[in-house]
Amino acid sequence: MRSADRIAGAALLALAVGFSAGALKEYTYWGENGPGSAFLPFWLGLVMAVLAAMLLVGAWRASDPGPAWLPSGAGLRRLALVVGASAAFVALLNVIGMTIGTVLFLVVLMRFLDRQSWPVTIGVALAVAALNYVVFTRWLHVPLPTGPFGL
Amino acid sequence: MDFLANLSLGFSVALTPFNLLMATCGVVIGILIGALPGIGPPSGVALLLPLTFGMDPTSGIIMLAALYAGTMYGGTITSVLINTPGESASVVTCIDGYQMALQGRAGAALGIAAIGSFIAGTIGVVLLMLVSPALARWSLAFGPPETFALLLLGLTTVTLLTGESALKGYISMVLGLMIAMVGFDVISGDPRYAFGVPELMDGIDFLPVAIGLFGIGEVLAGAEEAGGSALVKARYGWREIMPTARDWARSRWAIARGTVLGFLVGILPGAGPTVSTFLSYALEKKVSKHPEEFGQGAIEGVAGPESANNAAATGAMVPMLTLGIPGSATTAIMLGGLMMWGLRPGPLLFEKNPQFVWGLIASQYIANVMLLVLSTVFIPLFVRALRVPYGILMPMIIVFCITGAYSLKNSVFDVGQMLVFGVLGYAMKKLGYSPAALTLALVLGPLAERALRQSLIISDSGAGIFFTRPISVVLMMAALAAVLVPALRGLAAARRRAAVRAA
Repeated sequence: MRSADRIAGAALLALAVGFSAGALKEYTYWGENGPGSAFLPFWLGLVMAVLAAMLLVGAWRASDPGPAWLPSGAGLRRLALVVGASAAFVALLNVIGMTIGTVLFLVVLMRFLDRQSWPVTIGVALAVAALNYVVFTRWLHVPLPTGPFGL
Repeated sequence: MDFLANLSLGFSVALTPFNLLMATCGVVIGILIGALPGIGPPSGVALLLPLTFGMDPTSGIIMLAALYAGTMYGGTITSVLINTPGESASVVTCIDGYQMALQGRAGAALGIAAIGSFIAGTIGVVLLMLVSPALARWSLAFGPPETFALLLLGLTTVTLLTGESALKGYISMVLGLMIAMVGFDVISGDPRYAFGVPELMDGIDFLPVAIGLFGIGEVLAGAEEAGGSALVKARYGWREIMPTARDWARSRWAIARGTVLGFLVGILPGAGPTVSTFLSYALEKKVSKHPEEFGQGAIEGVAGPESANNAAATGAMVPMLTLGIPGSATTAIMLGGLMMWGLRPGPLLFEKNPQFVWGLIASQYIANVMLLVLSTVFIPLFVRALRVPYGILMPMIIVFCITGAYSLKNSVFDVGQMLVFGVLGYAMKKLGYSPAALTLALVLGPLAERALRQSLIISDSGAGIFFTRPISVVLMMAALAAVLVPALRGLAAARRRAAVRAA
């Protein structure tokens, strides 16, 4: 946890400084009538810088490394697979469409991550895709992304 | 009497067949969401919000409010049967509820929780009805400085009570405010922090953020663990669920105390149901004649906190409706929904949209009755839902998160954004930051900025304007206290640790 706090503290500090400096450089701090569009962002950046510094100091003082926060081994692989599959689904959304994408996504995760049987996998995947289609496309008239075959 | 006229207006709205159907759906889906581990009330409300866009706002909020009440009860089922809270307001219920289940009294624990929730919810709605109009009238006198001071108080108190450390709570909150700055500035028209990306110029919508932080964040936290937990077997006949005379004698004052305590804590901006359950449990243990039974299956330990969380969920509606300040993460998401429907929560809501406010209040009565009926009659059905393996549930939740984020503006960009916030939500959860504080700040940020700048424009003494007007100075002092109290407590703890090390 301590090393995570150090990384988070440093990243937040950099973000805060960039946020405040960017506000002053690009936008108006004080206009003719009063505070401009840079006013609040500048102060928010400043407050965040102070908070991040406090986090860094606290993390520096603590000597124990603290418990690990990321899982290792199998847990990490599962996590990476879920995030990766979701990202691929979203990236390909406009190409393969929501319905086919949903079926593929569910099959990948249920069959290869969780080792569900094929009948359960196929059944759930088709049911969820159909439910999604009926509720959003038919009922709510949300034009979900379509792929080949207009699905 | 305009009070009764308002209430009958409310019931005429709430009792239309469509709204009744929406309340039923809300309660059933709510109990399921509350019961399923890995998906809590904020993600449930965020996921269902897109479904309500096609509806009339009144029907939409009726469904969401019924859903919220349902989740409060649903979380109890998992706490009692698998010793895993479905959501944070049921953590305390695990202590004695699971012990009762091990002693073969799962039915009694679930039964008393349902009855306590019903009583607390119903009394909570009566209080909501009595308190809100008065508060709304009072806050009608608010100018920009009072509004800003109130928003500041809401932001500081939410950080006070969520997350593991106050510092990380504040970091989450300020990060939320920074994200709220992205997009066109309403006063000057500057496209702030958009880096020329058209999607960012419109600002970062809270819905994809909320779905990501809560929905995906929770799913990822569950994904790294394989397998499920064992369910305690139990019978759920009428006889098992109805409390015995002895149970009732022990629980009734616990329910009464939990109701009052829960409602009061719920009204406080930022406090919310979870805190009320911890306070109620501590209170019951203190006033009990046999405190040694707590932790061994004392029924008061279930009745008190379960009543408190339902009363608090109702109480949290008070600041949301009258002041536009949410009392919990879930009401923060509902508040965002209200704003999307073009309703401006706050004092004017009661005057301009009476059918909305009173329809919501009346439907809360109906939702409570449904909750009692559904939760006692259909407990076996909801228990069966717990048997759905997480490996099937998790990919399904992700699909609904993706569709929900997309449906807001039919934008794949929003979906990507949702996923990014999902990973952030996972990290925040793991590292002890507060996704609730971030979401709240994102919703309140634009309102706070406008009030702040308007105040400074009309002020001739700079920030002095906040400290010269009576209401705003009180609110500012309260906000200051909310910052200082945990800071001082942290200092004292550090000093104590240093003293221990020196000794």
